[in-house]
Amino acid sequence: MVIKRFQPIASRAKRQYVALMFQVMGRALQAVSEVDQEVQQEAQALPEGFLFEMMVMPDGASLVVEHVGDGRLHYHGSSAPRPVNVSIRFKHITHAFLVLSFQEKTSVAFANDRMLVDGDVSYAVRMTRVLNRLEAFILPRFVATRAIKEYPKNLHLPEKLISAAQIYLKVATHFIQTARA
Amino acid sequence: MTNTYYEFFCPVKVIAGKAALEHIPYELTGRAARRPMIITDKGVRAAGLLDPVIMACEESGLDIISIYDDVPPDSSTTVVRDIAAIYREKSCDSIIAIGGGSAIDTGKAVNILVSEGGTDIAEYTGAGLIKHPLKPFFVVPTTAGTGSEVTSVAVITDEKKGIKLPFSSSFLLPDAAVIDPRMTLTLPAHITAATAMDAMTHGIESFTCMAKNPLSDAYATSAIRKVSESLLHVMDNPKDTDGRLALAQASTMAGIAFSNSMVGLVHSLGHATGALCHLPHGLCMSVYLPYVLEYNLETIRGPLGELLLYLEGPEVYAITPAERRAEASIAAVRKLRDALYKRCELPRTLRETGKVNESQLDQIAEMALDDGSIMFNPKEVTLADVRAVLNNAWG
Repeated sequence: MVIKRFQPIASRAKRQYVALMFQVMGRALQAVSEVDQEVQQEAQALPEGFLFEMMVMPDGASLVVEHVGDGRLHYHGSSAPRPVNVSIRFKHITHAFLVLSFQEKTSVAFANDRMLVDGDVSYAVRMTRVLNRLEAFILPRFVATRAIKEYPKNLHLPEKLISAAQIYLKVATHFIQTARA
Repeated sequence: MTNTYYEFFCPVKVIAGKAALEHIPYELTGRAARRPMIITDKGVRAAGLLDPVIMACEESGLDIISIYDDVPPDSSTTVVRDIAAIYREKSCDSIIAIGGGSAIDTGKAVNILVSEGGTDIAEYTGAGLIKHPLKPFFVVPTTAGTGSEVTSVAVITDEKKGIKLPFSSSFLLPDAAVIDPRMTLTLPAHITAATAMDAMTHGIESFTCMAKNPLSDAYATSAIRKVSESLLHVMDNPKDTDGRLALAQASTMAGIAFSNSMVGLVHSLGHATGALCHLPHGLCMSVYLPYVLEYNLETIRGPLGELLLYLEGPEVYAITPAERRAEASIAAVRKLRDALYKRCELPRTLRETGKVNESQLDQIAEMALDDGSIMFNPKEVTLADVRAVLNNAWG
């Protein structure tokens, strides 16, 4: 009885958490593409104007980023200016929550059929590598190992701390700019 | 490695064994189909493999309305459009695809067009675009390896854009897969070996990659056992129908396994090498399999060790210490490849293929890294890792 009463609250909290995480990740994707050369190299292979979306089916929270050239990504918020090129879609809000709360690795979520890829799979694979790199930077190592298949061997603490600080600063600045606008 | 969640789906009726082809008329009429079209290639027709199918239908008073026998090794959007036009012109109501991966994929694509409408198959590319059951569709494989008869995907080349279009929907699955040993009896030795190694790779990768699950494991291990027990026997006795049937069943079981648990780095490398160097898929699988297993070893030690039972049998499994079983499994794969090399010179290294240039390895590595199946490899793969595996496989 008590559990039933709290279910709508838990469900709303889950939706809000996922929406917030998408906002953070979208901004962080833009930031990491300005900070990290490896991410820039990955993104450079994407066509200019390439739109990437992550969303919760059927019409839940989403994030959209665009490759604006030179390996730089631009966060568009939750809606795309035109049809997206690649979309990674969580089948249910619970599946998105499992991944975004680091209870299930992205790779495991793919293996468990929690998500669908719509569009060119090779670009989706590339964007997944970018997401993994981002998570390795911004999450503490013990959390990152829960989110990604393998923590990068060549990512050492000084580089991680400096990059993470830059990314968080850029994300915070972007949040403030959006709030002011 | 064990998943706490999985999905498994295979609604394909498998009709296998002696005189299986003679069940086709019954299965067609059971789906109210009276005007079937055969889709195949010239090699299959020249080998006389259509004759028993046509005979089986005629004996049941069922005429084959049309035969398209010009499917190329890499089927294209134009071929699919042309076949769909013939299907409509002749008022066919069902499709029988007879052949290897290309003929089967073409059959799946034609079925989309004739069921959903239109002339441009490219409009249906991607996943989940098909929402309705398609026309009655039967598959008769003439190789024992691809497992295409039980997979829900097809790949067709778009000639204009020079890209491969993937199609994925559970509605692409055939109504029935007809496995008759007569269809693989005349398969040349090197194709028998390469396609069987394709089935072996499907089994091993589905058992060791990230989406493994209890049901796909059951199919994978049975497939591996059948290939291990029958392949060399068939190589030495190509007309042995029981051996041929065992390999054909292994291919279907491995197909069911990998279509439900996906594959990993062996396939990523194979897809890239096939696209760049035009090497047959089964051959690529055979070349890369032991090198990728060595690369993944520490991540898959448990399941790979279990496979020793199916690769070498209970005696070898029992006398091998548990901590050495994974290495022994890789050794068993290498031993099988050596035996195949001795019998039909099936290449064991990229150098032995004679079709790969060492300067192409970087390009293969980059393409493999973007292949969808790499997502399911149990170990995270970097460009340097792929390059190292390729160096080892070069020989």
